[in-house]
Amino acid sequence: MADVFISVNNLKHTFTSKVENLTVLRGVSFQIEKGEIVCLLGRSGSGKTTTLNLLAGLDKPTGGEIIVNGKNITQWSTEKLHAFRLKTTGVIFQEFYLLEHLTAIESVMTPMILADDKEELAKERALELLKAVGLGDKTMNYPDELSTGQKQRVSVARAIANNPSFIIADEPTGTLDSKTGDGIMKLLLRLIKKYDMTMLYTTHDPYVAKLANRVLILHQGKVFEEKEVDPISFDYDNFEQLYRPKGDKA
Amino acid sequence: MNEIDKLTDTEIKSNFYSKFLYSTLFNLRLILKNLKHRKKSAIIIALGLIFSLTILFSSSIWVHTSQKIIADDYIETLDYEMYINTFLPNAMNEVYDYLSDDSVVRQVDWQYVTYALFNFENKEQNYTVFPESEQDDLEDPISLTNAIIVPTRAIERIKLNLEIEGNASLNSGEIMVSYSEAKELEKTYKKTITPGEIITVAITRRIPNTDIGEDELRFFDIDETTYYNYTISGIFKYTGTDGIIDKLIGAKGAGNIVDSVLFPMEDLTYEDLYIFETNGLLPKLLVKTDAEKLRTGNIETMPDNLLALKERIEINYYHTFCRILKHEIETMANEYKRTFSSAALFIPAIAAALILTVLATQMTIKRRGKEIALLRSRGASSVQIIGIFFSEYSIIGIFSLLVSFGLSIITAAAFPLIAGGKSITAYNLSRFMQYLDISAYEIEIFSIIVLGIYLGVTFVNIVSFVKKDVQEVLLITRKGQRILSLGVNIAVFVLVFVGFILLLIEFRNVFDPFDTYGFDSIERSSMVLLAFMGVIFFICYYISMGIVLLLQKTPKVYRLIFKNRGFFIYHNIKRKTKTLTELTFFLILIISLLTFLISIRSITETNIELENNYRNGSDIRVQTTVPINISEYNERFSKIEGIEDTLGFYSLRATIGTQDVEVFGVDPLKYLSVGNWIEHSFQNTTVEEALTALEETLDGLIISDYTANRLRLSIGRHMFITDFKGGPFSLPLLITGIISSAPGLGVAHGNDPKMVKSADEYVLVNQEILQSIGVENGSLFLLSVGKNVDIDQIIEQIQSISPLLIVNPEKINPNYIGYFITKYIPHVSVTLMLGIIVLSFVAIVYIMISTDFILNQRRKEYAVLLALGGKQTKIRGLVIGEILVFVVSAILIGVPVGLLTALSSLSFIKPLLIPREIVPIVFEPGILMLLVAIFSLILASLITIIPLIRKQTKFEIVHELRITE
Ligand SMILES: Nc1ncnc2c1ncn2[C@@H]1O[C@H](COP(=O)(O)OP(=O)(O)OP(=O)(O)O)[C@@H](O)[C@H]1O
Ligand SMILES: [Mg+2]
Repeated sequence: MADVFISVNNLKHTFTSKVENLTVLRGVSFQIEKGEIVCLLGRSGSGKTTTLNLLAGLDKPTGGEIIVNGKNITQWSTEKLHAFRLKTTGVIFQEFYLLEHLTAIESVMTPMILADDKEELAKERALELLKAVGLGDKTMNYPDELSTGQKQRVSVARAIANNPSFIIADEPTGTLDSKTGDGIMKLLLRLIKKYDMTMLYTTHDPYVAKLANRVLILHQGKVFEEKEVDPISFDYDNFEQLYRPKGDKA
Repeated sequence: MNEIDKLTDTEIKSNFYSKFLYSTLFNLRLILKNLKHRKKSAIIIALGLIFSLTILFSSSIWVHTSQKIIADDYIETLDYEMYINTFLPNAMNEVYDYLSDDSVVRQVDWQYVTYALFNFENKEQNYTVFPESEQDDLEDPISLTNAIIVPTRAIERIKLNLEIEGNASLNSGEIMVSYSEAKELEKTYKKTITPGEIITVAITRRIPNTDIGEDELRFFDIDETTYYNYTISGIFKYTGTDGIIDKLIGAKGAGNIVDSVLFPMEDLTYEDLYIFETNGLLPKLLVKTDAEKLRTGNIETMPDNLLALKERIEINYYHTFCRILKHEIETMANEYKRTFSSAALFIPAIAAALILTVLATQMTIKRRGKEIALLRSRGASSVQIIGIFFSEYSIIGIFSLLVSFGLSIITAAAFPLIAGGKSITAYNLSRFMQYLDISAYEIEIFSIIVLGIYLGVTFVNIVSFVKKDVQEVLLITRKGQRILSLGVNIAVFVLVFVGFILLLIEFRNVFDPFDTYGFDSIERSSMVLLAFMGVIFFICYYISMGIVLLLQKTPKVYRLIFKNRGFFIYHNIKRKTKTLTELTFFLILIISLLTFLISIRSITETNIELENNYRNGSDIRVQTTVPINISEYNERFSKIEGIEDTLGFYSLRATIGTQDVEVFGVDPLKYLSVGNWIEHSFQNTTVEEALTALEETLDGLIISDYTANRLRLSIGRHMFITDFKGGPFSLPLLITGIISSAPGLGVAHGNDPKMVKSADEYVLVNQEILQSIGVENGSLFLLSVGKNVDIDQIIEQIQSISPLLIVNPEKINPNYIGYFITKYIPHVSVTLMLGIIVLSFVAIVYIMISTDFILNQRRKEYAVLLALGGKQTKIRGLVIGEILVFVVSAILIGVPVGLLTALSSLSFIKPLLIPREIVPIVFEPGILMLLVAIFSLILASLITIIPLIRKQTKFEIVHELRITE
């Protein structure tokens, strides 16, 4: 079979606070192959974002391992994780997190500058990427001069700026209307194909979910593997059922 | 319709009141809770306010308190303030009674001067006494000296002029003998005379007129009552310089005290006094005033109050002539005024602390967005929120005011500690409390100014911040606002600038560069300085606006300096213009003020050093209290190895017109080489020309610029100097030079309080003229030494010649009143140093709190950069880089601005720095101290901000991203 790109084994995560300890992940295991596009489904609060953050190295799990390209990133130092985030992964946030004082092109340049690329080269590539996401005419706009969909496109361009092999997208269409969301997803998928990347994303939208090669379901701190999703024969009516554990009555 | 309207109106009203009442009570709890929560920022604000208020209050308290203490202490250092002379021997009783009733007078003492005779017992009445060197029996001579007759209690005052071996007492049966008379008695009695010795003395009741041949013992009118055995209680050397005794019988008067005995008046009978009278011996009255009465009003009125006393007596008693210490007291009041006015130089530090407080307050307000949202979600209206916030800051203000008031009394008590380094003893403290004087008016004014600025700016900040959050519906547009505030800004600037110019003109009108700076110039000078500070404030503001624009337009520079990081630094600087203008503005202001204070301090110190050097005159200065033989000592000095050249000043008193002058005879070419001359020593001519001319013209004369101007004399004119003391003839001389000041002698005309001067003016002549009229003595020598010699060793050798020689005295005139004043009020260089310290501290605190503020605002941004793969170290580097851009550009701009400020203020702040410009003030930036200050500023800000940056960037990315704002 194809190479296993990411392997998550028995991943556990507990948030500790003064008031209480909240265990969100109780042993999550799944694998993603190179070039795969995987969607993670789950109820609100089930721990999707938490999982993605752990995969992106933004947080450290309480237990278990995440193996990327054969290396266990949970053992890495923060320094190494920074480099990992910078070069290997591209993150698209639910709320974009564009820096207010930077124009679209400057935002896209940011990861490249952080990677010590030459500013001129970064600018060239950023322009290319913005054109690719259809924002060739908005390069000098600040975030508050962009629509929500345009902001998301900028954040997509920013995510792929450093040519990552892995894209992590947390509800990339969450704040968009379905048509715009569809457009963004199609754009993302096209780019991923073009640049030969792997992607893991979350969504609440069945139409968006169906675009994945495969769907994982997060429930009660565990991940349940679904059969490969066929976009055509996907059971929309049954989609809600996915959230329900086996044996649970509706 | 109408009725319903009314109803709803009252309904609304009652509703409003009950709501308001309820919410105030509710709010009070909230306010207190908020204050508790924001302890740190509340403490910073309170500290800033307390600092500014305490300094202002305690200065005010100390002004009022110290002037009373200084006045009283100073008056205590004077022997008397007035003596009264008469030409009617029997009319003084009335004056005495009048004075005893005058409230300003504390003590009146009689004083007679006659002769005291020793070793006369075995002599006949026709024994010839005068002249002393031609007495009948030179083997066993009568010793003759001045008898100064004063009441017993007077010794307590007179002793201030004396250095005494034995006791300072003048009880019945005791006399005190001067050092030279003691030596004389040793010769006469052929034994050593020490205190405790019993000796027979006769006080003469008559002063014989030797001009008509009254040279025998009988003319002295000795009687057995004044013929008695007396115990020598003490032997004294006369050391007085400033006082009534000096004016009457010391160096500036008849001089008899140097060779005299002090005799208790109580031992004279009424009959003796009656015979004094009939023999024409004139009494004098010594008047000691009551300091407390003399200073009614304030310290400045003292000279005039004394003058009024003199006038009262002279008007009531036509036969009297009063001499007062008006000039000395005036000098004291002037020096006091200057020393205190120089505190104006500390005002930048107070202003900076106040601005810091206001800016800190502004930052804390801007951090409260979340709180506003919370309050609003609970249904609070904007007015309520503003009310809550404003009451919070008002409580801090009022609390600070109360603390400052209490604290300022303590700090005011500590002023002398800073000034004289004295410890606060119980005595000082109780004295302080006893004199404590608080001007409620000034305290009120300072409170209003400081709290007004603080609360005013805070209110505006709160309103604009809260309002912005409610709705953007402002009465005027943003552009309109900007134009309005710029308009107000420029208008205020123009007002301040015009005020500055007007004050400067007024200052110019009263300022006399050729005299000791008086009251008016000192006061005006501090006013001009304040206005000038206002101008600088605005200039810094405008410059900072320009700098921010410039910083935003130069992306390439950042790339050059910070490489790839430049991208972020540049973009960070490019945004939020307003905050950055404020940041740079305040930094530039502080750094230019810091530079200003440092240069002013170094200018003052340099001037003091140059002046002291000039006053000292040469490598080594030797002065004596008694005149010594010039040629003899010249020879002795030149024998000491290492001494290259010696110059003695022959000296004699004489008169020009009606003016007393001291005539100094010098070897002009030696003076040229030995003296530390400066360019401005002579008017219109170089030092070399003037002294060579004096060398070449045997009857040459150098007079003061003042006299030349006043009597319209010029070089090449002939003139007479008359009335030589010790030779009653006049000399025709040719003017060869006009002098302003000379090394070793000081200013040619007028008073230099740091020098001791016997006349108001001196002239220079070739030494040969004085030698030709028999002058052999002088009391000043200037010596030059060779290269690489051990000066200390030479000084030691000179001192071993005679204990009378004073070599390189640290203080040429130890009685200079300034030394006295600075025991109470910090000297200007101490004030400046304190200002420098406070400003540096303010700068560091400012950099710290603004870094903290900016970092706090940007936490989320940094989290995003980290999430995108930025490294911690890189992001910390960004912050440091950005702050350094501001600090460095503020230094690059602030330092030149400060130097220019110092340079341009020199012309009008002189009266605050020095009593008189003797050596021209030179601009001396104080590079070393400046470098140290700037280096330590950068270092200290790095040390304080690095932990801050660490703290602020040490967060969990995920957590930071989750916080929504
Ligand atoms: N930093 C944190 N500290 C404490 N609890 C947290 C933290 N982050 C997430 N949680 C909790 O963990 C649980 C999972 O959160 P997570 O954001 O992963 O859910 P999600 O599946 O992404 O939900 P949604 O679909 O609404 O985005 C939630 O109950 C949340 O309250
Ligand atoms: Mg989520």
